[in-house]
Order: sequence, then C-alpha cells, then structure tokens
Amino acid sequence: MALALEGIRVLDFTWVVAGPAATRVLADHGAEVIKVERRASGFMLGTRRAGLMADLNRNKRSIAVNMAVPAGVELAHRLVKVSDIVVDNFSARVMRQWGMDYQSLARIKPDIICMSMSGFGHTGPRANFVSYGPTLQALSGFTLDMQDEQGRPAGFGYSYADMAGGYSGALAALIALWHRRRTGEGQFIDVSQFEALVSVVGPSILDLTVNGRRQPPPKWSPQEEPAAPHGVYRCRPEGEDADRWIAISVRSHSDWRRFVAAIGSPRWASDARFHTLFGRMQNRELLDRQVARWTAEQDAWQAMRRLQDASIAAAVVSNAEDLCKRDEQLKARNFWPTINLPDGGQINLTGIPFQLSETPGALRRPAPEIDQDRDWVLSEVLGLGQSERQALLAAGAIYTD
Amino acid sequence: MSATGALKGLRVLDLTGLKGALASRLLADMGADVIKVEPPGGDRTRSLGPFAGNQPHPDRSLSFWFYNLNKRSVTLDYQHARGAGLLLRLVESADVMIESFKPDHLAQFGLEWDELRKRNPALILCSIAPFGQTGPWRDFEADDTVLAALSGMLYVNGFPDEPPVRPLGLQAYHCAAYYGAIAIMCALFARERTGRGQWIDLSMQEAAAWGVEHVAPSYFGTGQIARRRGTLHWAGGFRVGKCRDGYILHSISGDWSTLLEWVKADGAAQDLTQPQWEDPQYRRDHAAHLFDVLDAWVRDKSCVELEQRAQMLRLPYAIPHSINDLPRDEQLVARNYFVEVEHPELGRKFLYPGAPYIFSHTPWRLYRRPPLLGEHNDAVLGGELGISHEEIAVLRAEGVC
Repeated sequence: MALALEGIRVLDFTWVVAGPAATRVLADHGAEVIKVERRASGFMLGTRRAGLMADLNRNKRSIAVNMAVPAGVELAHRLVKVSDIVVDNFSARVMRQWGMDYQSLARIKPDIICMSMSGFGHTGPRANFVSYGPTLQALSGFTLDMQDEQGRPAGFGYSYADMAGGYSGALAALIALWHRRRTGEGQFIDVSQFEALVSVVGPSILDLTVNGRRQPPPKWSPQEEPAAPHGVYRCRPEGEDADRWIAISVRSHSDWRRFVAAIGSPRWASDARFHTLFGRMQNRELLDRQVARWTAEQDAWQAMRRLQDASIAAAVVSNAEDLCKRDEQLKARNFWPTINLPDGGQINLTGIPFQLSETPGALRRPAPEIDQDRDWVLSEVLGLGQSERQALLAAGAIYTD
Repeated sequence: MSATGALKGLRVLDLTGLKGALASRLLADMGADVIKVEPPGGDRTRSLGPFAGNQPHPDRSLSFWFYNLNKRSVTLDYQHARGAGLLLRLVESADVMIESFKPDHLAQFGLEWDELRKRNPALILCSIAPFGQTGPWRDFEADDTVLAALSGMLYVNGFPDEPPVRPLGLQAYHCAAYYGAIAIMCALFARERTGRGQWIDLSMQEAAAWGVEHVAPSYFGTGQIARRRGTLHWAGGFRVGKCRDGYILHSISGDWSTLLEWVKADGAAQDLTQPQWEDPQYRRDHAAHLFDVLDAWVRDKSCVELEQRAQMLRLPYAIPHSINDLPRDEQLVARNYFVEVEHPELGRKFLYPGAPYIFSHTPWRLYRRPPLLGEHNDAVLGGELGISHEEIAVLRAEGVC
C-alpha cells in the first residue's frame, strides 16, 4: 500500500535527538529521508542497533560526507538539487560555513525548503548559545516551575524539549512542503526549539500577560479542568518495588459519587467538607491524606481497573515495564512492533501514534549504521557511475569501508 | 512573499474541546479557515478559568483564548436532527473535520465516518481519543494527568523517594494535538494522489508516549527501567545546582577539558583531575559525584556570571527561569515572539504567545482574536449555507444554534 509522503525526499543533516525526532515521523509515512552524517560524531547515545538512536532513525538512509572539503560540499549540493527539503539542527553558523544556508541553496535549487532547528533560532542575543534539551527547559520555566512538594526544582527527567522540537519541526516541514506543492515556492523555516517549547507552556502565560498574575508552581494543574481528588497517590508495594503510584482525577459530582462507591464508601467520604467540588478543592490536603490511605492498601493495577470500571479517570503511573510489557491497550494496538535487524536479531521500536485508514505508516527498515547506504545514495539517487565515485573518494568527499 | 498563509483554502471543522483544540489552531495559525463548531451553550473550555479580568464569562476564558486563536465560531447542536443535517452540509465543503469525543459518540447522531465520507469522499476525519478508537481500554476515562501517567511521561520526573512530578502545561494533550495536525497534513498529501480522504485514529496515550525520550528505548535496548533521578538528566549530562544567588543548570555535555580547566583554575576540581574522568562513559556513570564537585565549586558564584562565562566557553549552562520571566525574556523580545491581539469588545490589547516557528515566505499570522460564542453564525449559516435570517432565528429559538 502506498504511503502518504511517498515521493518526498528529505536531506537530513540533523543529529542528537530533536532533529531526528522531526524527520522520524516523515520517514514513517514514506518520505525518503537521507541522513548526511559525519563519519565520527562526538555524540553517542548508544548504538543504532538498539535504544534511542535505533528508534529515532528507523526508516532512514545514511551516507557519510566530509563537509570539510570542497568536494564534500559539492556532493551535498548535488543531493540538494534532487531533494525537497533540507533539515538541520546545528546552531546558525554551521550550515553557513559549509555554504549550505538557505540563500546559497536557493541559488542552486530555487524551490528548496530549508528548515533549521537550532536551539534559539538564527537571530536574537542567544542565537549562538549552546544548548541541549535541558538548557532549553531551564530557560523556558519547566525546570524551575515543575517542583516537588518541598518546592525544589525538579523538571523533566529527560529532554522533553527535544520531543517538542521534534513535533514542531515535523509539522513545520509538512506545512512548507504543502505550500510548495500548491505554489512551487520554497522557503526558509527558522525553528527555535526554545520558542517551540515556550509555545506549549499553555494558557498560564495568558494569565500572566492578560491578568498580570504571577503563576504559582503548577502543582495542582490549574490548566486542566478542576478536579479533586486530582493527582498522584502512592500504592501498595509490588514485591520489592515500593515505587508504585496511581493517578486519579475526580471531576464532576457524579464522578465523586462513583468514586466513593468504588472505594467502599468509607465514613470519611461523607464529611460535609467533601460534598462539593469546591469543598474538596478547599480541603484538598485533608482529602488527599484520606485518598492516600486507601491507595496505600491497593495494588496499583487493580485499583486502576476498579476505578475505571466505575468510569473514573485513573491510571497506573507506568514505569518502563508497565508501558512496554503490561499495558494491554498498547499491546492490542501493536504500539511496540518488532523489526528485523540485518544480523538476524530483532528489536522492538515505538510504533506510530496515529493510524491513517488508507495509508498507515510502516516500519520498513531498521536504523542505518553511519554511511550504510553510501552506494545506494550515489548510484540510485544521484546516478553516479564508478569513475565519478572514485573521483569523490580521491577528493576526500566520501569514505571507504 | 505570499500574502496569505501556507494553508490558505483549507476548510477545517473543529468539534473538539480542550483535548484537541490545539490541533486545529496550529492549522489556523498557518492560514486554514477553522470553524469551531460549538454546542449552543458553548464549548466547555469556555467555562474554564482563569478568566480575563477575573470575570467568569464564556468569552473571557483564557484557556479558550489560548487554544482557539485564529478560529471562527459557529454554534450548532448536532444532537438535534436539524443540527446534524446542517453539520453534514458544512462537511460537504470541508477538507478536514477534527473531533475528540468518545469513540462512537458521533454515530448516535448519524455522523459516523461512513456517513461523513458519503457526503464528502475527500473529507479527512481526525479522531483524537485518549486511547484511540480500538482496543480494550478505548472507553476508559482520562484527562491529561492520566495520559501523562500511562505514557511514561510522569514516572521519571522528580526525586527518587517522592511522588512523580506532573509536567507544566497539558503536555499529553499538546503532543496529541501536534501529532493530530501532522497526521492531517500526511492525509492531505495522500489525498493529492488519490482524491480520497481518510479516517485518522489518533491515540492520545500513544502521542504522549512520543513525548517521552528514553523510557521505552532504554527498556527494549537494555531491559533497564528508567527511574526518577531528581534533576539529573537520564543520560547523565545535566543537573541543577545552587549558586550563592539562585539555581544553575550544570552541564558536562560541552567540552570536558574546557570545563575542567575552569574548575581547576578556581582550585575546586578535587578528584576530577584523576585520569579516569577523561572517559565520557565514566563521567556519565559517576555523574552524581561529578555534579557534587561542581555544586561545591559554584556555591559562592553568581549565576549570571556563571552562565555568561560558561556560554562564552560553549558550555551549555543555563539559569532556570520561571515562566513568569518569559514575557521579558530578551531572546523572545528580540524575536518579537509575543504578539498583540486586540479584543475590541473589551477595548484592550493583550500579549499572546506567538509563532512556534518562523517561515520566511508564509509566516505564522494573527488572523483574528479568539471568536465570541457563535460569532460567525450569520456569516457561515447565513452567508455560506444560504439560510435566511428568519430561519436562523427559528433555529436559535429551537436551540439548534
């Protein structure tokens, strides 16, 4: 079956996480994504055979090009001529130094789209700041404002900024490609991962700019529909593992009645202070102590089942094993499909988070090792013969095995 | 430069509430004509505080404002046969319809996918549901907290012996919205080839899992269950420390010898000069001790000086800011990130967060402030569907619009 983005070719200079996360979704839906890589990258997060890099780079091709020599840049330019979009996530100066900035490339291919996913964008006082996901999370408020109960900054335990940069970049690329298909016009997209992240903080920013109200730490999720109980409660240990939690949201009056019945109608629940949502929110600490006393006796998975059977929004706070092995829903939707590796092994990858009824995406090939598709790119994409390949090698543009 | 947006000419019907509203806003920001179809009493988001000027009113909800900028609003009770009929007429001229109801909800009113595509074979229907349209949990209840819990997003934030810390902002919803918009763009490309639309089944849980970086890949790669590590980033490269006047995000992801020279020059390197610290893997494996040494090093420093010097040395240090600092953030200000939106009926202009990406030819634009409830009934029902004023008055009296 045809894939949605067949016929689109992406020249992908991205590395680390945010850029590859953006081009992953394009590759999953059939775009031909060619990674143009350095032979030895200083950055390693495990191998391409398993783990994060295997997940982010599936369905892509790889060629190593030495951009430090003119013949390497020339080769990259030839690839640009047969591509629809060029993506990078370097800071602004890198592509410019190589002669790979939008102005240069638009001269070679007037309808090219260039998308640069730098940390802070190509302009402004922080344009040349060095950043990774955690740097951006610190500057955008996530690290300081996601606090623990003592008010210590906690933040994300990982680079959500990279995942947000990924979905923002993927959407921006598709919108620019759409415009080009309609009008034949290419353009430059300056994605600041910082701005992409600030854009998902949410309505709290409006409360600040419109009402001038300083925002307290979002412990009680003021951006969501009001609820109480609402939060994370500790459950009974599971074997050795005492780190078991359940998330519970009780919103409407009927939610509350069903919740009380589901936990066995304890006496405390008839306390007049808990009769209305407003009362429960006003007396949240008292309420949470009572709910926590109940959850402390419960197995997290059984409590989730019991509350969901009563139509209460409740869930195990999934750890990796819950997520990848015990979650019946994700299993039923084949969200962790396996893919065969060239050496005969097999690994699970993250599936595709949306199903298109006519053109579902597909896992077609595992992540390439660096330079794995050199011959394919040179012959199938550029149509180069043996002598031209020898010349590239002699000029130091490409490598041998 | 094109005078109008990249998505000009696309008509989107938005039947979502809080769960999916950002998806169509992302399209509206780039020029799509998004019609929010609300029940006559208004989308529930309109009742969600905080409110502009702290006055609860359907046209003053800041949540509604944030998620519905650049859209138009039509009220229509599709649970009423006449309303469903009018909705089907709108479907005839739409490219996309987005809904975030429970699975099968629309079928009760004769608005199931088969009926919709009979009316308009080119229609793309994007269904955003907590667990998708299939699987054993498809009817489970969920809000953002529950989805964050079940996607793996929640478990890894915070300190080891404390409760997991919820993300700032509705990040499970936001992931779902971005991937919804991405899925719609994919379906639009497929439609260019086939002329047919399709049905997108988007699971918010799965989309939120795409907002997590390391949890599943590490589990499948090494069998390890990622845990909460305080502010220590999962890959070991970052941790928050304390200067004399505030917090600082330390990083060992820049050049190691540069950082070490600096710490040494201050006489604070302790055992970090020993040869084993030259090995990046050793540094990651012993990150806790390494960051303890760095914490002691910066105890008497000022964070501003530390950040400046570090960035000069290309070390990705940063001061954790609060979201309260964002409207004055020098990078955002320099790039005109915030935009003024005039609300004439309130006689005021307010600052809104702006473009998550800067397009050179078809920029993100402010087209219109968030719509008042039913503001475009006359224009859409009257002007476009050709319903007379008298008839609209009757429909209004009957509660259809």
